[in-house]
Amino acid sequence: MEILMTVSKIASICTMGANASALEKEIGPEQFPVNEHYFGLVNFGNTCYCNSVLQALYFCRPFREKVLAYKSQPRKKENLLTCLADLFHSIATQKKKVGVIPPKKFITRLRKENELFDNYMQQDAHEFLNYLLNTIADILQEEKKQEKQNGRLPNGNLDSENNNSQPEPTWVHEIFQGTLTNETRCLTCETVSSKDEDFLDLSVDVEQNTSITHCLRGFSNTETLCSEYKYYCEECRSKQEAHKRMKVKKLPMILALHLKRFKYMDQLHRYTKLSYRVVFPLELRLFNTSGDATNPERLYDLVAVVVHCGSGPNRGHYIAIVKSHDFWLLFDDDIVEKIDAQAIEEFYGLTSEISKTSESGYILFYQSRD
Amino acid sequence: MLISKMAAEGGGKEMNEIKTQFTTREGVYKLLTHSEYSRPNRVPFNSQGSNPVKVSFVNVNDQSGNGDRICFNVGRELYFYIYKGVRKAADLSKPIDKRIYKGTQPTCHDFNTLSATAESVSLLVGFSAGQVQLIDPIKKETSKLFNEERLIDKTRVTCVKWVPGSENLFLVAHSSGNMYLYNVEHVCGTTAPHYQLLKQGENYTVHTCKSKSTRNPLLKWTVGEGALNEFAFSPDGKFLACVSQDGFLRVFNFDSVELHGTMKSYFGGLLCVCWSPDGKYIVTGGEDDLVTVWSFLDCRVIARGHGHKSWVSVVAFDPYTTSVEESDPVEFSGSDEDFQDQIHFGRDRANSTQSRLSKRNSTDSRPVSVTYRFGSVGQDTQLCLWDLTEDILFPHLPLSRTRTHTNVMNATSPPAGSGGTNTGSNGNNSITSTPGNSIPPQLPRSNSLPHSAVANANSKSSVMDSAIASGVSKFATLSLHDRKDRHHEKDHKRNHSMGHITSKSSDKLNLVTKTKMDPAKTLGTTLCPRMEDVPLLEPLICKKIAHERLTVLIFLEDCLVTACQEGFVCTWARPGKVGLLSSQNQANSPSGTVV
Repeated sequence: MEILMTVSKIASICTMGANASALEKEIGPEQFPVNEHYFGLVNFGNTCYCNSVLQALYFCRPFREKVLAYKSQPRKKENLLTCLADLFHSIATQKKKVGVIPPKKFITRLRKENELFDNYMQQDAHEFLNYLLNTIADILQEEKKQEKQNGRLPNGNLDSENNNSQPEPTWVHEIFQGTLTNETRCLTCETVSSKDEDFLDLSVDVEQNTSITHCLRGFSNTETLCSEYKYYCEECRSKQEAHKRMKVKKLPMILALHLKRFKYMDQLHRYTKLSYRVVFPLELRLFNTSGDATNPERLYDLVAVVVHCGSGPNRGHYIAIVKSHDFWLLFDDDIVEKIDAQAIEEFYGLTSEISKTSESGYILFYQSRD
Repeated sequence: MLISKMAAEGGGKEMNEIKTQFTTREGVYKLLTHSEYSRPNRVPFNSQGSNPVKVSFVNVNDQSGNGDRICFNVGRELYFYIYKGVRKAADLSKPIDKRIYKGTQPTCHDFNTLSATAESVSLLVGFSAGQVQLIDPIKKETSKLFNEERLIDKTRVTCVKWVPGSENLFLVAHSSGNMYLYNVEHVCGTTAPHYQLLKQGENYTVHTCKSKSTRNPLLKWTVGEGALNEFAFSPDGKFLACVSQDGFLRVFNFDSVELHGTMKSYFGGLLCVCWSPDGKYIVTGGEDDLVTVWSFLDCRVIARGHGHKSWVSVVAFDPYTTSVEESDPVEFSGSDEDFQDQIHFGRDRANSTQSRLSKRNSTDSRPVSVTYRFGSVGQDTQLCLWDLTEDILFPHLPLSRTRTHTNVMNATSPPAGSGGTNTGSNGNNSITSTPGNSIPPQLPRSNSLPHSAVANANSKSSVMDSAIASGVSKFATLSLHDRKDRHHEKDHKRNHSMGHITSKSSDKLNLVTKTKMDPAKTLGTTLCPRMEDVPLLEPLICKKIAHERLTVLIFLEDCLVTACQEGFVCTWARPGKVGLLSSQNQANSPSGTVV
């Protein structure tokens, strides 16, 4: 292990080419997966938030496959999804197995489309993930709508015409979307009402020295709605105290968990980082599912982690660790290293309260085994 | 339901302070601040990325009555002190032995309790780079180094233990998933060992070392996938429980290298394992934040416990609080004046305990009232204590009925006709006996029943038995004592297999072949029952007792010992044992506090 670390450190000092071949050697020609490419992404000035999320998504296999399939469809006007598809396609069709690619077109498009990202500042990786997934979903929905209006869709008959009110789910939804059910129990009449809401990722509060399992349990803890937050009960026809809790009703194919490590400090007028040690297992089941969930015991495997390094959301650095064919890789912009699964524990966070800078897991991607 | 949950949460919010005492039904446990062991400078160790702090105890049978010795590792350092327990404050200025290692860190250690004397102890130390050292911290000698060239295994040693009842044999587990049997008398050889297959089992293999002269390792076990995190010998030393990163508990008959039973965590790796003092139950802890209680006789999960907020790093039974009513309670508390016996019972003594218990069980159809106490510590810096009570050990009908509905694979469920009626009469009904309850008197004959699966299983194991017996004689290091036990062992083993012949031997065989290794498919089987299909225990107490993740929990007669990753070993006096120190402490306190 120590030897491996030294090798990779030396490699990172050397030129990119040497680094690439070192990785190839480390994996070994027999072990190197067929049709798999490990390409670092050039940093265009604080774009590591983007690079780390793109790498993580590239190694979410269902997502990658859909993006590559999109690429093979007839050419469309350039948008963020076509740029992403071009980038993924370019990685997937490289002659070399390892190397570096500049995601120039994608970054340019991103900066053009959203002024939030149109600068050279460090951005929040979770915000970017959210923006990217929602934008892709919007593009796909818009395309479906266009196709229907143009009458090109064969099954565009009457019974599915009500798509104006309820947009059709896209493959982004099929992959990432789950459903939360919000159960509210009126403490006066005991009536339980529930409301469902969809999510593409779950943002969970973090506590020191806990596990992601515990943080997810906390996410579904019962809240009491009282005083100014009283709940309007339809049954009682008045505002009442109530218990409210959110449980997962539909478990997504890929469960993206965002650890809320950035907390706004009123006194400081800025965000501070919670470097808490939050452990995450390679295998996960949810405890916070609702009674009527369809597949509440779905078993998940950790496939990618976006790691934040440093002290705040707009400073520091992002890297990604991903699982590919039974081994783990670390993508640090243009640098790609093979790491030992046991090295993941370095990204759980810190137990000491003093140090605010850490390399700690920020977004976890768990993929369902079924 | 909701309200009780709220109340529990309210308590949780106030728990951020670190507790120095807690109360159970037997009384108040108090942290003895003067009995804290650590590095001599008492400075918290910056533990990031370091190996867990572990503690080993030994009693050297010193005439002075002060025979307890403690060993612990912190970072790259290893300390050996006189342990004064609840009696006197710790004197950290004078470690008997202290070692600092370069390039490799101590990860675990174990004393040989058989050979320990006031003049000499045999301490095995495992290292992060795979080596194992045999040292004598009293004589301050280093007698031997194993796997020095790392030819046997290059990965971290995760667990090292002397084979119970042996002064020479020891077992070493690595994060590679391999486990090696060594003999201190043998050399390791200057080339990488060549292995010969001895046994190919379900997700495990055992190899012997192929060489002209006998050399280490004697055996190589490859168990499951990923790191082998911990193993524990049964109190009688005959069975070995292993927990791995693949989330499986595997229990082996150590001498015959046969798999006795398997369990899968709810999810994630299993990190720790321990046996009940009578060898009937195994408790594991893992990355699902749960403790899981598994019945050795029935090979099934009987309960899970949720109390930790993070991974469970250590589980241990408390042999001094565990009680069996209607019998002499001294049986458990009195027979263990040597505290290390909770890990290694002497073979003979443990046998007698077990046979007495099982005899009673077999003659009395009504289960005795049993309560086991166990504890757990975790990465959440919390200590939990758990009671395993009669209603969990011997579930009554309503529960078993729900189980038959939800768990199709479970063969313990009685046939349709008798399902609801075997409440009181199960003494005679061998098919529907409550799991773990009684072994009906006519069972010994059921061995010869023409039940194909059973017959196969038995014939196979006896074939293996003889095969191993010859294999064992080759390394000729098992003492005569062990060989004498062989007859006993057969009876013993047959007894055990009988326990599940009634309930699930055929079922188990089916399961194993059907489910193979995909953990997703083990859910709902006896390997991994659904959450709602087994009772969920709540901890008796659940207290935050450290700043850093906890890595040690040991139950001694007067106290419990915990340690955290910062390198502080804490002693918690049991109820009524605290006065011992405070009376003496007045005189002693300067030496204890000013260092």
